[in-house]
Amino acid sequence: MSSLNIGGSQLDASWFLLLSAVLFGLGAVGVLVRRNPLVILISIELMLNAANLTLVAFSRQLQNMEGQLFALMSMTVAAAEAVVGLAILVDIFRVRDAEDIDDLSELRG
Amino acid sequence: MSNSLLALLILLFPAAGAIVLAGRGWRAPRMVTVIVGPGVVWLSFVATLVLFLDKASGDFTYWTWIKSGSFEVPFGILIDNLSIFMCFVITGVGGLIVTYSVGYMEHEDGPSYARFFTYMDVFVFSMLLLVLADNFVFLIVGWAMVGLSSYLLIGFWYQRHSAVVAARKAFVMNVVGDVGMILGTFVLFMNLHSATYSSVFKALPHSDNGTMELAAFLLLVGAVAKSAQLPLHTWLPDAMEGPTPVSALIHAATMVTAGVYLVGRMHPIYDLAVYAHAAVAIIGAVTALFAATIAIVQVDIKRVLAYSTMSQIGYMFLAVGIGAYSAGFFHLLSHAFFKALLFMAAGNVIHAMQDEQDMRKYGGLWGQMRPTSISFLIGSLSLVGVIPFVGFFSKEQILGLAFSKPDDSMVLVLWLVGFATALITGFYTGRMWWLSFWGNASPQRPVEHPHAPALVMMVPVAVLAVLATVGGVLQLRTIGIGPAVVTDFLSQAVGPQRWEEGGAAIAVGIVTMILGAAFFVWARTLRPWSTFVPWAQHLLEHKYYFDDIYDAAFVRPMDRAASFALRDVETPVIDGVVVGTGRFSRWTAREGTVLQSGYFRNYALVFVVGVVAIGGGLIVMRAFS
Repeated sequence: MSSLNIGGSQLDASWFLLLSAVLFGLGAVGVLVRRNPLVILISIELMLNAANLTLVAFSRQLQNMEGQLFALMSMTVAAAEAVVGLAILVDIFRVRDAEDIDDLSELRG
Repeated sequence: MSNSLLALLILLFPAAGAIVLAGRGWRAPRMVTVIVGPGVVWLSFVATLVLFLDKASGDFTYWTWIKSGSFEVPFGILIDNLSIFMCFVITGVGGLIVTYSVGYMEHEDGPSYARFFTYMDVFVFSMLLLVLADNFVFLIVGWAMVGLSSYLLIGFWYQRHSAVVAARKAFVMNVVGDVGMILGTFVLFMNLHSATYSSVFKALPHSDNGTMELAAFLLLVGAVAKSAQLPLHTWLPDAMEGPTPVSALIHAATMVTAGVYLVGRMHPIYDLAVYAHAAVAIIGAVTALFAATIAIVQVDIKRVLAYSTMSQIGYMFLAVGIGAYSAGFFHLLSHAFFKALLFMAAGNVIHAMQDEQDMRKYGGLWGQMRPTSISFLIGSLSLVGVIPFVGFFSKEQILGLAFSKPDDSMVLVLWLVGFATALITGFYTGRMWWLSFWGNASPQRPVEHPHAPALVMMVPVAVLAVLATVGGVLQLRTIGIGPAVVTDFLSQAVGPQRWEEGGAAIAVGIVTMILGAAFFVWARTLRPWSTFVPWAQHLLEHKYYFDDIYDAAFVRPMDRAASFALRDVETPVIDGVVVGTGRFSRWTAREGTVLQSGYFRNYALVFVVGVVAIGGGLIVMRAFS
């Protein structure tokens, strides 16, 4: 049983995994190359949701609800994380004008 | 009062005295020190006297000190005639000497004064523990503690470098002996499974001969070190750096005779171990002669006395070595009388001469310090062995018994050595006496009109002078008439005298005495023959080069090893490792800060690269498995 029934049509599970990998890769590249803190946060969200997609895909394939539950859980965590991350960003912006994340390098050894 | 409590009290009095005087005891009025210091020794003397009058004897066990499986060490006190005898010497002569110290040490300030009496009481306690112990473990405790108190008292004037060096030397030499003692005890314990005298001696007949020889030789190492016999004698002359009462108490009357006590106490072992027993006698005889020859050329009055102490203890070793135990112990007693007398009389002189100890700078004291001179003369004649002084009876008894020991030609050789020593003793004692007291005052004498010693210093000297004069009545049998009190008293502990002096021995003894006395008189005008033979004089002045040999063989190699260890091991290796560790940490920290760039991107990149590497690795491993 390697394919999934989506809206009546059969779709191979590897497509979902491929999509998830592409999304994750986009997110990772975004984190690495973008300088705007806000965009970096969004990229992190993207990576998280790529992982969620994988979980859900496998959940359907294996007929096991645990994966979907776990995806819900991780979305909750992502929401919380986004709150914390945005709060930090807002705080930083309040103190100074940091459009470039490379400006935030006070912890250099 | 029960005997077991009294026996314990003998020990407890000096211990209590030491505790009272220790620490801040000097804050109390000086009178407290004056009373407590000698007082506790006299209390012990009284306790000993009561036990003696009770004819007490027994092995009292108070509690178990160590218990581990079959190994058990009780704290026990052995009261027999030998320990009573030793307690009399220690507390009686010791009491006189500690009393004398009240005057001798009067110039010390409060803390030093109390410290001196603390040490003295600690010494008396340790020495009593040594002779009262009923097992080897407490014997060793006492043995080591007298070594410690000796160290403390030799180094009493710790501001003087020479005193500190001498104290250290004495301590190290004594530790050599302690190690021998401890090993000997191990040998006995491993074979006889007990550390208590009574059970060890009971098990002796079942042990093999080789073991006994080994144990006896190891114990002899301890005896030789403590009693300053060859070849572990070099510390005793240097120990004269201590105050004179210390020399009298520790380095003449009591501690240095502990070796004699040990051999006497262990006589069941030595009776079985014939070779070790013979070694005791040979070491004694050789040391007697050896030390007497060195004494001829010494100029420091205390050093002459130190060498004569070595020589006299050699006689005692000779006596116990040939099996004449009670004769050895009588000489111990008589030596305690006359040598303590000599030291304290010399102390009076040194005190009056503002600490000058060179005899050549005295002279003419006969007219100015008459009581001291007479006391010193009594002590000298006793040392030479002139009738009727106590030394004659004890020394001639040893020589007479050696002369007439049946079926043993070797002992006759030892007698000859002892005979020669007696003549040399006459000579060096005479030289010392004439030089110090007779003739005209030396032009270098530090004091024109010496002051008379204080009463507290003169009375103990006088008491000992009387004892040294009349003590011989205890052992009149030496000259064939009357009783032998000491021999009979000690026969309970060391067995009866095993053979009698023949008439010939007594005659030879009288001749020895006459020759010794003649040398004493001749010494006034005679120069030592060695002054005519430069190399001999050299040899004697350098004390047969023993110190130099030990220096070259042990001290300097140790020094070199120590400085090698410091310069080539400690500094580069040990320090190198420690300092290197610190330097390495600082280097890694400095270089490592490069990694912490502070740029978020770098950290994220490391994450990603790491994840990719691990994931890729897993895939590759999958692919190939």
